[in-house]
Amino acid sequence: MLAYRQKSKSLILLCILSLLILGGIRPALAHGYIIRSIPEDRAILQYSPTRLQYWFSEALEARFTSLEVRDQNGTTVATGGVDRDNNALLSARLPRNLPDSVYIVDMRVAFSSDGHVIAQTRTFVVGQAVGDVAAGELNSQVNGLEVIWRVLVISSTMLLFGTFVIYQAILIPAWGNTAYHAGLLPSRVMRRLSLIILIALIISFIGNVVAILQQTMSFFDTGLEQVISQNLWSVTRVGTRFGDLWNGRMLLLGLVSLLFALSRRWNEEHPKTVRPFWIANVWVMALVIGTLSAGSHATGSLTLIWVAIFNDWLHALAVGAWVGGLGALVLIIPTALAPYKDDERRLALLAVLRRYSRLAAACLVIVIATGLYSAVNWIYSPPDITNTDFGRALLLKLLLVGGLVFMGTMHHMAVRPERYQRWQQLTKRFSRFCSSLRLEALLALGTLAAVGLLSATPVPIPYFIQDSIPAPSATQTLDNLSVNLTITPGGTGTNTYDLAIARGGLSLNDATIRLQMVNPERDQRSKWVEVENASEGLYVGVGDEINRTGKWWTLVDVTSVEGSIKRFAFVWDVTDTATIQSSQPPRIQHIVGLMMVLAALGYVVYPSAKRIYRRLDLNPVNVTILIATLVATILLSAVGFIVIQNAQNQFESTLNPLPQIVNSVLPDEASLIIGQKLYQQYCTDWQNINLNGFIERLPRTRDEQIFATTRDGGADVPACNKILSEMQRWDLVNYIRTFER
Amino acid sequence: MNFQLLIPLAHGSLGGWDEVVFLSIAVIFLAMMGISWVRSRVSTPEELDEATEDGNAQQPAENTPERFRLD
Repeated sequence: MLAYRQKSKSLILLCILSLLILGGIRPALAHGYIIRSIPEDRAILQYSPTRLQYWFSEALEARFTSLEVRDQNGTTVATGGVDRDNNALLSARLPRNLPDSVYIVDMRVAFSSDGHVIAQTRTFVVGQAVGDVAAGELNSQVNGLEVIWRVLVISSTMLLFGTFVIYQAILIPAWGNTAYHAGLLPSRVMRRLSLIILIALIISFIGNVVAILQQTMSFFDTGLEQVISQNLWSVTRVGTRFGDLWNGRMLLLGLVSLLFALSRRWNEEHPKTVRPFWIANVWVMALVIGTLSAGSHATGSLTLIWVAIFNDWLHALAVGAWVGGLGALVLIIPTALAPYKDDERRLALLAVLRRYSRLAAACLVIVIATGLYSAVNWIYSPPDITNTDFGRALLLKLLLVGGLVFMGTMHHMAVRPERYQRWQQLTKRFSRFCSSLRLEALLALGTLAAVGLLSATPVPIPYFIQDSIPAPSATQTLDNLSVNLTITPGGTGTNTYDLAIARGGLSLNDATIRLQMVNPERDQRSKWVEVENASEGLYVGVGDEINRTGKWWTLVDVTSVEGSIKRFAFVWDVTDTATIQSSQPPRIQHIVGLMMVLAALGYVVYPSAKRIYRRLDLNPVNVTILIATLVATILLSAVGFIVIQNAQNQFESTLNPLPQIVNSVLPDEASLIIGQKLYQQYCTDWQNINLNGFIERLPRTRDEQIFATTRDGGADVPACNKILSEMQRWDLVNYIRTFER
Repeated sequence: MNFQLLIPLAHGSLGGWDEVVFLSIAVIFLAMMGISWVRSRVSTPEELDEATEDGNAQQPAENTPERFRLD
């Protein structure tokens, strides 16, 4: 009757867990998201844009990522793909002068880290909005199959790792018997352990095979039959980052299988090799878990990416030892204790549970600390917990972990009745162990399923991501020549320069265009950038000339086929908001979280450190040398750091000192005309000497130096007339700069 | 810098040295695997017993709640 009631309880718990997990399953979405789009979604643009650019928070798989632009009639007007120099940028060049219409941008995006594929639609309007289109919704192409393989792979991997850890750290020290050469445990226990490992390995291989098939179905947007018959899965395996991680994982699982198979094969001939093979597998399984972390949410962390990956790995290892170990223990105990009854059975159980309890406590400390770090890494504001799928999946996992912690605490107290006498009433129900351990194992299974669900759930998009900042753009007209310049994204770092040139309203295709970026406040200017003629009056270029925020000028020289040169000058105020922020500095929560993880690690390694400490020879001389070495190392490191910083600052200020006097006149066509007149009128001496040396030095000469030369004269050139005002002198400087042409 | 490995894992998307970091970790763990293999070949269960504070454990004559010789 009692057994029936226990079974009923387990069944009810299993049903509740299944409902919770299934209720939590949403169509799995990708981990990455758009951090900037140009033009922004649903933008209404006066002029046709020259290109579309979408920056994502993670690297994309170029082979499986595409972009298509359609007009309102459904005609494809442009296609695009992943940028050659930036694998997180999806872009397309648009034809010149798109007619007024609503344009639909269909993106099919495959993320490198986890292989997730999403379809996303965005729209923009050129001119007046015509008609209406539904857009902006994120459509997932991933089905529940992904959640299933994730649960299979994670559960079996954790069970494998937990089994090998439990064997090494719990079963051998607690039950080991040198009378049994093969594995140091009775053959019935070794057979049961082998069966668990074999089944977990089979599930793991099946889960991984389903993973590559499902991933290929997503990548190619096709069915299982084509994936297998056309060998498409091998394309995913060889040509994607998901496939590379998969290869690594399968290789390591193959190694685990090989070591396990050898231990079984030599069970009779070389029984003493069984234990070494199994213990070696602890390390290999830790690497297998590492491949899961290398494809987890952590690789998309905006803050301290390597810390996030190692934190995730540490978390997974602790969960594996704790939860996987519990699963293994529950499956072994009935077989192991079958020959024992009453006190002997209880003693044998206590020997294992006391050790497991210590291991679980250490793992729990790490799980909590690393889990908190992960939470602060992904939860940016409290509403993210309740308003996002990730927050809800996290809550579900926390609920199950809370149940596990409660059960674990009860067992921890029940195995040490002498220490927790006052709680005896409470722990009495758990002192039978076997039935309550089964319940705990069921909760552990549910927790692993929740982990699988969480890993397939997209992280919240940070509130500070503003993907709708328009790229700076301006148009200037001189005589009948018009130049529209767009700098994308318009922040510091790499930008694209799109110039649309027209003469009398018609595209100008035979001109030579070059541009230069100038920072007047620092008296710095880039080299001239030649822009490429794309088509229909569109000229494009790329460069990283903008290296700091502040006021910038863009000088554009348009040279016609007749040889005449026109100067266009644009003024920009470059701010940090336009810069693509692919990473974020750590916040105070990250620092606190990291300290907690380090403290947890310190707590776990403390007993081992204490043992090592006892073996040390701590006589006064050794201690003095140790302290002196430590202090000297810290001091030298600090001094070295400060010296390097100072040297770098000094180098920067020597190379690019702030100008004493700043050019305050924009070098546009009007300024050049004034400057030319002033030159002809007041720099008559210059016109009678050879200026070749001066002109040759011009690209390396700062504006303030030219200014001083026109005022005071230089090494090989005389001063111009001294009656010039400051503004006139700057016009003159701007004109003299054209000698470089 | 990017390295062309037999099985690249990160393709440089985690930084210039990502493949080196992954490879180093793999080498360290596989080395630890080898060390564990050798050590466990020459040790007995009692020597691995971390419950003993002094690391100089004696096998108890009788079964206790900490150590039970399973038959």
